[in-house]
Amino acid sequence: MDITYPPDAERFRARIRTFLAENLPAGWAGVGALPPDERAEFATRWRATLAENGLVAVSWPKEYGGAGLTDVEQVVLAEELARAGAPSGGENDGFGIGMLGNTLIQLGTEEQKSYFLPRILSGEHRWCQGYSEPDAGSDLAGLRTRAVLDGDEWVIDGQKIWTSAGHTANWIFVLARTDPAAPKHKGITFLLVPMEQPGVEVRPIVNAAGHSLFNEVFFTGARTRADLVVGGVGGGWRTAMTLLGFERGGQVTTQAIEFARDLDRLVELARDRGLTSDPRIRDELAWCAARVQVMRYRGLRGLTALLQGRTPGADGAISKLVWSEYFQRYTELAAEILGPELLAPTGPGSGEVLRVAEVGTPNSSRAWVDELLYARAGTIYAGSSQVQRTIIGEQLLGLPREPRLDGGPFAEIRPGKGA
Amino acid sequence: MDFAYDAEQDQFRASIRSFLADHADPRAADGHDGLLWQRLCTDFGAAGLHAPEEHGGGGFTPVETALVLEELGRALAPVPAWGTVAAAEAVLRLGGADVRKEVLPPLLAGERIGALALVTEADLDPARVPVRADGETLTGTVPVVPNGHVADVLVVPALVGDRVVLHVVTEFEAERQDSLDLTRPVAAVRLTDAPGTPLDEGDLDRLLDVLRVLLAADLLGTAGACLGAAVAYAHTRVQFNRPIGSFQAVKHRCAELAVELDAARAAVMFAALAAAEDSPELATAAPVAKFQAADTAVACAAASIQIHGGIGFTREHDAHLFYRRALTGAALLGSSARQREVLASRLGF
Repeated sequence: MDITYPPDAERFRARIRTFLAENLPAGWAGVGALPPDERAEFATRWRATLAENGLVAVSWPKEYGGAGLTDVEQVVLAEELARAGAPSGGENDGFGIGMLGNTLIQLGTEEQKSYFLPRILSGEHRWCQGYSEPDAGSDLAGLRTRAVLDGDEWVIDGQKIWTSAGHTANWIFVLARTDPAAPKHKGITFLLVPMEQPGVEVRPIVNAAGHSLFNEVFFTGARTRADLVVGGVGGGWRTAMTLLGFERGGQVTTQAIEFARDLDRLVELARDRGLTSDPRIRDELAWCAARVQVMRYRGLRGLTALLQGRTPGADGAISKLVWSEYFQRYTELAAEILGPELLAPTGPGSGEVLRVAEVGTPNSSRAWVDELLYARAGTIYAGSSQVQRTIIGEQLLGLPREPRLDGGPFAEIRPGKGA
Repeated sequence: MDFAYDAEQDQFRASIRSFLADHADPRAADGHDGLLWQRLCTDFGAAGLHAPEEHGGGGFTPVETALVLEELGRALAPVPAWGTVAAAEAVLRLGGADVRKEVLPPLLAGERIGALALVTEADLDPARVPVRADGETLTGTVPVVPNGHVADVLVVPALVGDRVVLHVVTEFEAERQDSLDLTRPVAAVRLTDAPGTPLDEGDLDRLLDVLRVLLAADLLGTAGACLGAAVAYAHTRVQFNRPIGSFQAVKHRCAELAVELDAARAAVMFAALAAAEDSPELATAAPVAKFQAADTAVACAAASIQIHGGIGFTREHDAHLFYRRALTGAALLGSSARQREVLASRLGF
C-alpha cells in the first residue's frame, strides 16, 4: 500500500500551483470572500483564463479541443482548484463539458461532435439539463414531456423542473417520451434543444434559502431538428445513464478537502463562542472530524480504483449518502453552536452554493444559515437518500427488489395521467 | 497511489477465512479453544505477523495482523488472540532486548498465552492503578483481564512511586469471571509479591494507538459478519408472501449499515497502514478507526438480532454472541465517546 501520488502527478501539481499563483487576482482569498454581485463576473473572466491555458474540458481528448489530461492529472487539478477556492469553469460548464460533451464524444455522431463541441468550449453554447418533471422525480423514467416528429423536426410539449442554471443556458438536453406505447424505459429519447425560441419558456423558482438557482422550463410546441438525437430514438434512457456516469471521476478526492476546510471554520466558530470545552459540542466536532477523515480515506481508495481502471459500482451511492447526510449533521451542529444568534442572522451570506461553502466564506451567522438551509437539498437532488439506500440494498447487498406496479406500456400505467 | 489490499493479502485473508470457517466454533471449550489457537499460530503465524523474524514473528506489517484479527472477529473465534497480541505488542515496543528475547518467541509461537491487564486508558491513571511495585515484586488485584485465566504471561500496569510502569509477570492467580463476551472471557487476576520485570516508560500513547487499530480490526470483522447474516436472513425469510429484504424498512436499515461498514473498512485500512508506516497520522487515524468500527459493530449486531426476529433472541442462535463481542470490543481501550475526546484533544479542539 502507498498513498503518495506518482512523481508525474506531483510535477503537474507544481505546474498548477504556479499557474494559480500567477493568474488569480492579487490577494486572492477564495470565491467566498468576493461580494456576491462580483462572483458571476469573476467566473466569466476566470473561465477565459482557464480556456487560454487549456484548462477547461480537461476530460476531453485533445482531438476535440480538450486538455486530454490523465485521470490523476484531472484529480490533481480539481484538488488544487478546490484548495485555492477557484472555480473549475462557468455555471453551465458542468452540464456542457462534464456531462453532455463527454456523452457526445462517446455516443454522438461525427456531425454532432464537430458542431457542438467547439461551441461548448468557446462558451457560445451554454447547456442545462432537462430531466426532472413535476410528476417524475425519483421515478425519472415516468417522465411525460412528449416529442413528436413533424417532418424533419421534433415538436416538444411538456414541462421540466429543478433545472439548475436554466436561466443562463441557451441549449438544453431533454429526455422526452417519443413512444407512449412502449414500456416506460424504452419509449424515451434524448434530444438537443435550442432554448432561444418562442416555444421554450424559463421561469425561475426561488429556493428555501431565498435564492434563485433552479427553474421550471416549459415547452409549448418547441422545435428541434430531427437529427439532434443522441443514442437513437427510444435509446434515451441508456444515454441518460451514460451521461450520469460522467458526473464524478475527477472529483473523487475533493469532497474531503472542501469539508475539512469548512470544518476548520466551524471549529473556529465554536472556539469564538467558548464552546470547544462543552462536552457535547466537542464530541460532535470530533465526530465531524472523523467523518471528514473517512471521506478522505474513501477518496484515496476511490482514486486507487480509478487509476486501476476498476468501476466504482454502488460506491457512488455510498459517497452521496456520506457527504449529504454529513452536511446536514454538521450544519445542524453549527446551528447548535450559534444558539439564539441563529434567530436573527447577521453579516454576509454564504452565496448561492449547493454544497459546502466556498473558500473565504465569512464566519457570519447568515452564512451558516444559508449553509444550513442548502444542506436540506443535498439529500434530495441527484438521487434522494432513499433512492441511494435502495441502490445500495439491491446492487451492493443483493437484496430482492420490491414488486413493481409500473410494467407494460407506459400509456397504461396511470390512465387519465397519460402523456 | 495504491490504497488497496494486494493480491497476496487477499489470498492470505481468503485462506484464513476458509480455515476458520472449517475449524472455529464460537461455543467451543467455554471460550478458549487452545488447540485452534495453537494451529493459528503455527499455520498462520497469527500472533506475531508484524513482529520481526528475530523474535519469532513473520516480519510483515500491522496491515497483515489487522487482517487476521478481522477474520477472527468475523468468525468469533474463541481464542486468546487479543490478550496475546496486546501483550506481545507492549513487550515489542517497550521491552529491553533481554525481555523481548525471553518473552516473545514462545508467545508468538502460541506455546504460551499472553494477557494485557488493562481495559481502558483510565487504568493507567496513577490514582486508579490497583497494582503496586514494592522493590522487585508486585502486589494487587486487577478485576477484569481478558483471557487472564488462560494466560501464562501478563503485562500489567503497576505503580512505582507515583509513576505507572508496565511490568511483565508470570506468577499470578487468575479466576474466571462471569463474562459478557462468551468468546473472549475475562478473569480477575491477583498478584501477591509476584516478581515483575519492568518495561521501558516509552510512548504509551503510541502503544495504545496500535492496539486501538488491532481492536478496531476485530470489531470490523464482527460488524461484517453481522450485516452479512442479517442480509442473508432477509433474503430467505418470507412474510406477506415476500422476502422481508424486499421491504424498504429492512433494506434501508441494511443499506445504512453497509455505508457505516464501508467507512469502518476504509478507516481500519488507513489506520493499519499508518501503523505500518509509523506515520504521525496514526494519532488521529487510530481513535477514528476504533470508534467507527465499534459503533458499526454494535449497530450491525443489534440490527442482526432485530432482523432475525424472535429466533435472534434465543440462546441457541449466534446473534447474541456477536452482540456480546461487539459491546465488549467497544468498551475495551475506552468507549467511543472517549475515542472522540482523544481525537478532539489531539486535533486541538
